[in-house]
Amino acid sequence: MDYHLKINEEPVTVSVKKTDDQTTRLTIGDRVYDVAGSRLDRHHLHLRVNGKGVHVFVGPNGSGKHIVIQGGHHLVDDLDHPGLSGRSRKKATGIPDTVTPPMPSVVAAVLVAPGDTVSKGQGVVVVSAMKMETTLVAPYDGTVTGVTVAVGDKVNPGDVLVDIGREAGMDGAVE
Amino acid sequence: MFKKILVANRGEIARRIMSTCREMGIATVAVYSDADSRAAHVLSADEAVLIGGPEPSASYLNMDAIIDAARQTGSDAIHPGYGFLSENADFARRCEQESITFIGPPSQVIQSLGDKITARTIMEKGGVPIAPGMTRPCRDLDELATEAEKIGYPILIKASAGGGGKGIRVVRQPPDLAEAFASAVREAESAFGDGAVYLEKYFETVRHVEIQILADRFGHVVHLLERDCSIQRRHQKIIEESPSTALTPSLRTLMGESAIAAARAAGYVNAGTVEFLLTPDLSFYFLEVNARLQVEHPVTEMITGLDLVRHQIDIAAGRKLELKQEDIAGQGHAIECRIYAEDPENDFFPSPGTLEYIREPSGPGIRNDCGVYSGVDVPVYYDPIISKLIVHDQTRDQAIERMVKALKDYVILGVKTPIPFMIDVLESEAFKGGEIFTHFIRTHFPDWKPGEKNRDLALIAWAMNELTEKPRTHQNTGANPIPEPWETLGSWRLA
Repeated sequence: MDYHLKINEEPVTVSVKKTDDQTTRLTIGDRVYDVAGSRLDRHHLHLRVNGKGVHVFVGPNGSGKHIVIQGGHHLVDDLDHPGLSGRSRKKATGIPDTVTPPMPSVVAAVLVAPGDTVSKGQGVVVVSAMKMETTLVAPYDGTVTGVTVAVGDKVNPGDVLVDIGREAGMDGAVE
Repeated sequence: MFKKILVANRGEIARRIMSTCREMGIATVAVYSDADSRAAHVLSADEAVLIGGPEPSASYLNMDAIIDAARQTGSDAIHPGYGFLSENADFARRCEQESITFIGPPSQVIQSLGDKITARTIMEKGGVPIAPGMTRPCRDLDELATEAEKIGYPILIKASAGGGGKGIRVVRQPPDLAEAFASAVREAESAFGDGAVYLEKYFETVRHVEIQILADRFGHVVHLLERDCSIQRRHQKIIEESPSTALTPSLRTLMGESAIAAARAAGYVNAGTVEFLLTPDLSFYFLEVNARLQVEHPVTEMITGLDLVRHQIDIAAGRKLELKQEDIAGQGHAIECRIYAEDPENDFFPSPGTLEYIREPSGPGIRNDCGVYSGVDVPVYYDPIISKLIVHDQTRDQAIERMVKALKDYVILGVKTPIPFMIDVLESEAFKGGEIFTHFIRTHFPDWKPGEKNRDLALIAWAMNELTEKPRTHQNTGANPIPEPWETLGSWRLA
């Protein structure tokens, strides 16, 4: 059978065939691996891949899996069972597409007012969490159409703190 | 000797302190907030007292509740750990008034050293070299600007009530001063309840080298060598080691003597750390005294073989410190990595949540001071420290290899950690070469992204996990699985 997976934003097909009681043959692209595995606990497997032993650890991560091997982390999604992810995804630049705190925080300062023109990456709100301050930035060029918070407000991921009307003609990607 | 010690802290340090108490046959009391009812430190203690809501001010900073808990349980001493109330002179004074021994310096000493400006003045008088800068607090931007011109840019704005890297801003040019000032004051207000700041000369290329001291009540003071804490991010230490690659034996002796002079000038008792800045020409300047046990104290314990918490308890109980300076020597090399629930790919934002699974590294020369267990929550309300991983080996090169191996063996699922980042830092030529300054991370790892090694292995792991998982009736994604088209089509037939 085939698994259609995604790793580092890249789709990959993994073909799997049981060759005997102990061994499974996996093919990824032009590479072939003979694997024997044993499960040690809910998260921990020991695999022998083409004769070489390795410990791997698998944990949940939203709809995908978080895989740890020798200190390296990998996020693997199953394209056949994607699950729902309503959270706004980060773009390649790492800037989320709304002005929202990454974790429960308190508003420390508001740097803009309705009517201000802002450019992508410009600081608009400062929030404080775990005693550290973070500046949230405008995800695109535009004009501030509304500020929904005041200094001292408690805010959560998902709350939109500053509404920014996108400048026409810029950054034409559809949301 | 104390019969019962209340540990006024949480997480890994609370567990570590209780560990020594158990060795000494002293009963332990944990205090906890609503967010920590199942926390590891609570489960490690003989008794536990709920002291308030999750916000630190309601619980771990709530002096009344903590003193009540001590009285209620009949504790004869309180160990404050680090952070929270450990350098709160009012709290130390309250303990003194209630006849509960505060395991640390006298309240008066905490008071004078806690104000960074007073501390600088004491040191200046005591003949300890201090960094060029202000020796009075400032709340006025214009005054600050004048002083900054006098000292000469670049300068550092620092909170006078501060510590732990909070309320610090580097200013390289005059136009940046106003915003940096406002931001530093806000952070200082929030972290310490006091927005007063002062200025120091900023050295672009500098090392942060600190000396551990121990002083008993009878005036005997020794130093326990240095720790190099130059690997920092946003003024917060992330990797510490001893010995420092910059110190020669004679420089070590000079700095040690300076640290002892600093301790005497302040009338210090118990364990403390004197922090210095070391410039490339090997001049050193007093930075501050941390009047408490520090996060990175295990580094010193590994090279000296001493238990600093045990010495703290002994000194607080009135015992004489038997250690002689000539008997103190470091053996081998130790390195510590701080493991926080932080996302190294997202500017190290805290990554709170449920820590699904943890598998700690072990082996010769490997120590992990851990504050969590599989299934516990890492709450949003506190510093997200998971553990401190310390290794010790014969040489620095071997210690680096041992740390890399330990990091690769360390598995944490459910929250993000900087483990992959730490591995890259330790394997870098720059770190191995020992040319370490406080701008190390900024210079060598400004926009770190994880490597792409083991990609096929990860896919194989996913597939083998799927094949060996116990069959389930539903995918546990927490949402309705998207139905396959032919499940919803109903019956139909090709014409």
